[in-house]
Amino acid sequence: MKLLVGYTADERGAEAIELASALVASTPDASLHIAIVLPAAAPFSAVYPGGDHGYSTILSAQVDQWAKHALTLVPEGIQASVVARSVSSVAEGLISLAQQVDADGIVLGGRKRHRAGFFMPGAIANALLHSSPVSVFMSSPTAIETLRAANGKLTRLTAFVGDRPGAKDVIELSAQIATACAVPLRVATLVLPYDVQDPDRDLDAHVQATSDYLSQLTASMELDATIDVVVGRNLDEATGQLSWQDGDLALLGSARLAAARRLFIGPKAQRILGKLSVPMGVIPNPGSDN
Amino acid sequence: MSQDLRQDSNPAAAETGLHEKGLSKGTVGVMGLVVIGISSIAPAYTLTAGLGATVAEVGTSLPAILLAGFLPMLLVALGYRELNNAMPDSGTSFTWATRAFGPMIGWMGGWGLVAATVIVLSNLAAVAVDFFYILLAQLTGHDEIAELTTNLWINIPTTLIFIAVAAFISYRGMNATKVFQYGLVAFQVAVLLLFAVMSFTSNQPFDRTPITLEMFNPAGVESFSAFAAGISLSIFVFWGWDVTLTMNEETTDPKKVPGRGATWTVLLIMALYVAVSLGVLYWAGVGTTGLGAGNPENQESIFAVLSGPVMGPLALLMSLAILSSSAASLQSTMVSPARTLLAMGYYKALPTSFAKISPRFMSPSVATFVTAAAAAVFYVVTRLVSENALWDTITALGLMICFYYGLTALACVWYFRAELFSSARNVIFKFLAPLIGGVVLLVLFFATAFESMDPDYGSGSNIGGVGMVFILGVGVLLLGVVAMIYMRITQPSFFKGETIKTYKPIK
Repeated sequence: MKLLVGYTADERGAEAIELASALVASTPDASLHIAIVLPAAAPFSAVYPGGDHGYSTILSAQVDQWAKHALTLVPEGIQASVVARSVSSVAEGLISLAQQVDADGIVLGGRKRHRAGFFMPGAIANALLHSSPVSVFMSSPTAIETLRAANGKLTRLTAFVGDRPGAKDVIELSAQIATACAVPLRVATLVLPYDVQDPDRDLDAHVQATSDYLSQLTASMELDATIDVVVGRNLDEATGQLSWQDGDLALLGSARLAAARRLFIGPKAQRILGKLSVPMGVIPNPGSDN
Repeated sequence: MSQDLRQDSNPAAAETGLHEKGLSKGTVGVMGLVVIGISSIAPAYTLTAGLGATVAEVGTSLPAILLAGFLPMLLVALGYRELNNAMPDSGTSFTWATRAFGPMIGWMGGWGLVAATVIVLSNLAAVAVDFFYILLAQLTGHDEIAELTTNLWINIPTTLIFIAVAAFISYRGMNATKVFQYGLVAFQVAVLLLFAVMSFTSNQPFDRTPITLEMFNPAGVESFSAFAAGISLSIFVFWGWDVTLTMNEETTDPKKVPGRGATWTVLLIMALYVAVSLGVLYWAGVGTTGLGAGNPENQESIFAVLSGPVMGPLALLMSLAILSSSAASLQSTMVSPARTLLAMGYYKALPTSFAKISPRFMSPSVATFVTAAAAAVFYVVTRLVSENALWDTITALGLMICFYYGLTALACVWYFRAELFSSARNVIFKFLAPLIGGVVLLVLFFATAFESMDPDYGSGSNIGGVGMVFILGVGVLLLGVVAMIYMRITQPSFFKGETIKTYKPIK
């Protein structure tokens, strides 16, 4: 597997490399492309007095130093290279670099931010989560802690699906990643009371039906996956019901309104992301021909 | 010479390929360059800050001095361009002066540049705050709001907030876009022209002064010291123009665009300055009472006083033009001293923490903070000890520009000393132009510094019988000498020439 790491020379960047290394470690042809993106030259904000020229030389020397350090963070056995690029938008730059090197995903280190109870990914992650053509993986300090507790190795993938038709695509892509990483797959579904008309009467039956449906689906795809259906009064509570183990990675699909082969995170997924304390990934819409 | 450059601990070409792919080439045409030039000069700001102080020195010879002040600027800028072409990868007065004259003078060149920009930052912030309150007063119709800026308890905190916001924007690496710059420049120029037109068509000028050819005669200035002070102030009003000459690879055609852009910029700016200064003289005269441009009360910020009576309700536009121009300049100028300090840190002329670059925003971190803090401290001190802080800072700024500009010009002559007479082109651009320009500026520097010891100089503020301008200007330079000696003792490698080599021609 080949991943593009959006790198900044600080803790987040180091965490991104840690997560990316865990993702590719046991896959064939494991390689990381570490991208350092810089703001584009903006001639219309001319630096006066003194000119701009000395600064760009010092900056590129600094970037070289950062690049060398970044490479030392990558464990042995994983191919790694660094590319630095000036771009007008960081998210666009990462996407175009990912396409150029034909990467299977983009990895970002991040910080969780909550605004009035809502999870807000950083501006760059947010832009990627609404436009990337490849999967986007994100870490946070707490998420990295759980990965470290598993000696930096993935132990399981958890794919979040609904009971709607899109579930099959998410499971399929998650299964591919799980196989590549040689870890078991868990399919998780959150059931809420308002999924059925009369919760008191129908909820248990609905849970059973969902569980059966997913078992049949995974069986028909010849997958060996555990099914986990949890119930909660709301999304936050349901998410909290799921059990997690060290080395878990959560995967979510794109909203149905995402363009073909593009990633567009839905409000539900965004809500779930905010609750998770394991590394997570969001996978793009597989495209209409599927 | 290229041999010599390679021996430096210069940043190596980027292995990460930044240089080949990163820099977008050539997007700025002549029109764009003119816009960049005018926005660097920020005419609405420079006129309100510099016009009054210049009138105080030279009276009705204002247009002549404005035109004459361009000459030394042009001569020095030509030398500046030669240095920029020869050493494009280290484009600051600090490195150039070090290569030409050695570490000590180079260090002072860098200090002069940083000091000049820090002074202008504090002045920009002060002007922005003044017009912020004037604009609020005009918008709400409550005149007393404009008076808030004279209350130090309101003025100083507001100014510090303006400086902090500008520093934060610089640190975050947010840049002005093309559309923003075009809009800002067009608005400034339009409002200034409107002011000129309205002052000539006014029904009842305050003190109608007929325009005469004598106003364009530099010899009409009464004394040499007034002439020197006037010129050093009018260098301030053109400060920023030379950016058009040093933009090369950013332009669509490096052979033609910089020259044409620079010419058009200076023609437009001169026309604008002459129109506005004639308008001021015609409408207000140079009388020392009431609305006269010679009234010390009016000289701190001439448009703050005149735009209302001249433009009526449209004065709102003038306030907006000056506020936007000074606030935008505050942010863009903040970048420059931060980068010079960063370079000084990188070459170990300052503690190496100055060379820190933010990995997220790719901008100087420590250096930006220090710049903003220095501008804030300078402003607070000046505001507290001087009765006329704006006026004195502008005069001190003129002094500082003369110093580092003069030094840079002479660095050009000395750096190219082995090839000065190898072609007619070199004789003009590497020898005569920078030599004359540099000598003129340094003479102005010493003459103004000497004059400014007089307690009556400038606004008339003084400490212990020594003029405020002298204390600000020369004091800051002496502070630089102390800092340099301290650095030389604690971190001698730069001063031993280990980080930047002084150029010696190969015989």
